[in-house]
Amino acid sequence: MTRSWLYVTCIIAVTLLALGVRLRAVEMLPVDYDEDDYLGAAQRYARAINAGDWGEVIHYDFNYEHPPLTKLVYGLAILKLPEAPLLPELDSTAPPAKSLPEIQFKVARLVSAAFGTLEVLALAILNPLAGFFLAINTWQIKYTSQIMLEPLPALTSTLAVLFYTRSRAKWNGWVLLSAIALGLTAASKYVYCLAGIAILADWLWVTRPASLPRLRSWSSEASFHREGIRLTALARWLGPVILWGVVSILVFVVFNPRLWVGSSPLSQALLYHFDYAQSEHVRRAGFPVWQPLVWLSMPVPWHPGVFLISIDLFVSLLAVLGLRRLWARQPVFALWLVIALLFLLVWPTKWPQYILILTAPLSLSAAEGARAKLWQPLLNWLDRLRPGFRARTGLSQGRLGWRDTRRALPWLLPGAIALSLIALFPLIYQAAMSLTDFNAISIRDGIQGGVWRAVWQGLTGQEKPVAIEILGGGSGGRQVHYAGPTLLLQLIFGGASGLLVFNVMWMVLSVGLQTLLGLGVALLLHRHGVRFRGWWRAVFILPWAIPEFVGALVWLRIFESRYGWLILAQNIPKDVPLPDYFENPNTALLILLIAATWYGFPFIMLAATAGLKLVPIDVYEAAAIDGASGWTQFRYVTLPLLFPLLLPAVIIRSIFAFNQFYLFIAMRTSPPLVTLATASYYIFSPTGYFGGQFAVSAAINLFTVLVLVVLILWFNRWSKAAEGVTYA
Amino acid sequence: MHKLKWWQQLTTQVGLTLVALFVLAPIWGVVYLAFDGGVKGWPVTFRIWPEQFTFGVFQQVWERPSQNLPFLGILKNSLFVSGGAALLSLVFGASMAYAFARYRFPGRRVGLFGLLAGALLPPVALMTPLYVLLTVIGLRTSLVGLMIVYTAFAMPFCIWNMRAAFQSVPKELEESAFLDGATPLITFWKVTLPLALPSIAVATLIAFLIGYSEFAMGWLFVEKPQTVTLAMAIAGMVQGSTLESWSKLAALAILMSLPVVVIFFALQRYLIDRLLIGRIE
Repeated sequence: MTRSWLYVTCIIAVTLLALGVRLRAVEMLPVDYDEDDYLGAAQRYARAINAGDWGEVIHYDFNYEHPPLTKLVYGLAILKLPEAPLLPELDSTAPPAKSLPEIQFKVARLVSAAFGTLEVLALAILNPLAGFFLAINTWQIKYTSQIMLEPLPALTSTLAVLFYTRSRAKWNGWVLLSAIALGLTAASKYVYCLAGIAILADWLWVTRPASLPRLRSWSSEASFHREGIRLTALARWLGPVILWGVVSILVFVVFNPRLWVGSSPLSQALLYHFDYAQSEHVRRAGFPVWQPLVWLSMPVPWHPGVFLISIDLFVSLLAVLGLRRLWARQPVFALWLVIALLFLLVWPTKWPQYILILTAPLSLSAAEGARAKLWQPLLNWLDRLRPGFRARTGLSQGRLGWRDTRRALPWLLPGAIALSLIALFPLIYQAAMSLTDFNAISIRDGIQGGVWRAVWQGLTGQEKPVAIEILGGGSGGRQVHYAGPTLLLQLIFGGASGLLVFNVMWMVLSVGLQTLLGLGVALLLHRHGVRFRGWWRAVFILPWAIPEFVGALVWLRIFESRYGWLILAQNIPKDVPLPDYFENPNTALLILLIAATWYGFPFIMLAATAGLKLVPIDVYEAAAIDGASGWTQFRYVTLPLLFPLLLPAVIIRSIFAFNQFYLFIAMRTSPPLVTLATASYYIFSPTGYFGGQFAVSAAINLFTVLVLVVLILWFNRWSKAAEGVTYA
Repeated sequence: MHKLKWWQQLTTQVGLTLVALFVLAPIWGVVYLAFDGGVKGWPVTFRIWPEQFTFGVFQQVWERPSQNLPFLGILKNSLFVSGGAALLSLVFGASMAYAFARYRFPGRRVGLFGLLAGALLPPVALMTPLYVLLTVIGLRTSLVGLMIVYTAFAMPFCIWNMRAAFQSVPKELEESAFLDGATPLITFWKVTLPLALPSIAVATLIAFLIGYSEFAMGWLFVEKPQTVTLAMAIAGMVQGSTLESWSKLAALAILMSLPVVVIFFALQRYLIDRLLIGRIE
């Protein structure tokens, strides 16, 4: 009884929180792109309805690329309000309007906030923690408090999936509701229908027939019979799904007045989106393929002061950690998340509001992640704190012998002194620097002790912290000022997530490719009786033996944008502009990955070769006797035995890839295609373009150390890789 | 395992050839330049073979690689800085590594983690404070200053590896030496150190290589052309405006890389075996 009360209280609290932060945003957010378009459309709908001019409602086609339902709903909301002058119908790429008719603007925004809150309520009923994460997602708040198209389809797509999970993949009232919700989604904004694809995939998978009788021959009587069974099974499998689809399409048409006269508006709209995705406007925004990941890992960077809680980065991290659990417990949401994310990565238009198509499953995944990675460990820890645990498990703090310590001391001393002087003290100094606005202009003061003075005065409250931004710099005076932990906090809460996302992605992609190639080559060389094995190996080791920056040079020689091998080989005539491979972030990433794969695969190959030698041959013989084919042998014999041997090498390479620096310096890539270390170098370098920001560089370095410590702790749980740290 | 059939042998060889092309083609792209006397500045036509084959580029590089310093002068700087860093790491680190390998003391686990983290930090992690601190004591632009920077970067790595080396020496050997009346210092000097020497040498060599191939910190800290190291000279040729010719650049890069490549070929067994420690049962 108390549990269910707690549950209900949580749901109410989360909903109220969602409403509160949205109302705040409704008041505080400035007029944004597109709000005037949608409000203008709403005005025209309202005027037409008031005048009883239904033809206008059906035929109104400004902003035809989006279906009309949301705009109609806004229109209905301002139906009874006093009329205001109609907003001009500008191109959708026009800058936001200065001001909009006050009352209509507020009411429409309130409608938006209401839908946003309802979505939180719906999700909170399933999982209050997920509701909480959705309630405080800053992107969600922003786009469900402004007059955008997102709030309604975000709500209905969530409802469609929720209703579907209630139905347990059987045809009943819930499925009908799900179909209706999906139809409404389609009538509001097409892209949200990706949730429908997740439903479809899940449904077809869950209800798949155990086995469809195969047909062997057409001639006999029996096969006809079997064919009959087959068709019935198929019908039983696909029938409900098709019915669900038909209902949602019907609802879509009913709530989309533009379609009442024909289907051409639909193809028109879809065509528009394909064209728009290729347009100059989208291209000029210059967002790389992975930009959605950046949006997901940062709070809304604009509108300071509007959002009270900005933990989007951590929620997304939890979502990554919780995905496996979500997959096991509620696969349809995991599917939704994965499908929507893949779509966002592939689709060329990368506007931030698009991430709202997956914030609901993201929040749910984060809730699962929080349960598995925060709540459970916390419970375990509390359990361990309980008196009697030590006695029960026989754990006791082994007393450290004083004698041993005294003997160790002289051995430790020289190293300890040296390290304190050249590493530990600089680290402390670095921490102090990150609390100030120290830069190239105030360097004289800083060198003369200004950093310590500023920090001391700041910490003792004699000096008020000055404002400082990661890329904006500080006060610019000749004195060092105290700035407080602003920089570090900004970094930790996603202020440099463009860099962080790239850095982590770089680590995963480059090491993934290196491992694939390295393992592949090792397996080829390991085959029985391969000729010239020693020669091949000697050749393949070369990239590893060459210093990293010479390796980078070798690739720069190929991809350089004026005299590189690739350009020269194309023999482009003089008057044709040369393609710059580094201008487009996606091709630049490709080049960097090629170079990194070249440089890093030999290490993995060597580790895999050494590991393969340890796999006993009799295991293969046993597998061969059992009739295992080549692939089965690899999958069930080689890989499981090799994996623990290869893991340390992969981990060590991962950390080296995370720190990769010389490759980026040599290739002269520009943000966002730099690692944290490279960014710190550029920001620090007193002669560089944005250089001389010592405090910012110090903060980034500290942040890097922090991330690395977390990575090392995390990796350490999988393997004893640390014991084998070597030159990778 | 059965022997490969002829067609399996063939496909394997073809696959390996493709990978070898991927490995060698880019290297060749730079190497042939070093033997091409026809390239002035940047190469402007596509070719895969030297236009005028010559060893003259190497001769030029030997006499006047870049700026006004002879090759040997630059090499001396490189050896001084990276050798010094390796030596400092060894001398100050060895006893600490031994303490971590043999004794239990409060803070040992924290210290170990600190060393590990230090070994895995990027080279820029301490650049910012070291720049200011070395400026304060007036060493920033000198080779000694650079040596200190490289030591700060290489030492944790060196200690971490030496600790493993000491750990792999059986404790029983030390105990028997102790029973024979040897002091701890004598035991270390006469028993443990000689046995761990190969691995220690490898660790030191890697510490050396870290400094030898470093250039970014170098350009940040050093200002005078007399204090340029080999790696810095090459990087300076690429990034600076004074690029005389890619042929000279290629020749210099080859001269610099050759010893490193040789060392790696000699050491590959040692470097990889470290990964398998404790895995062989």
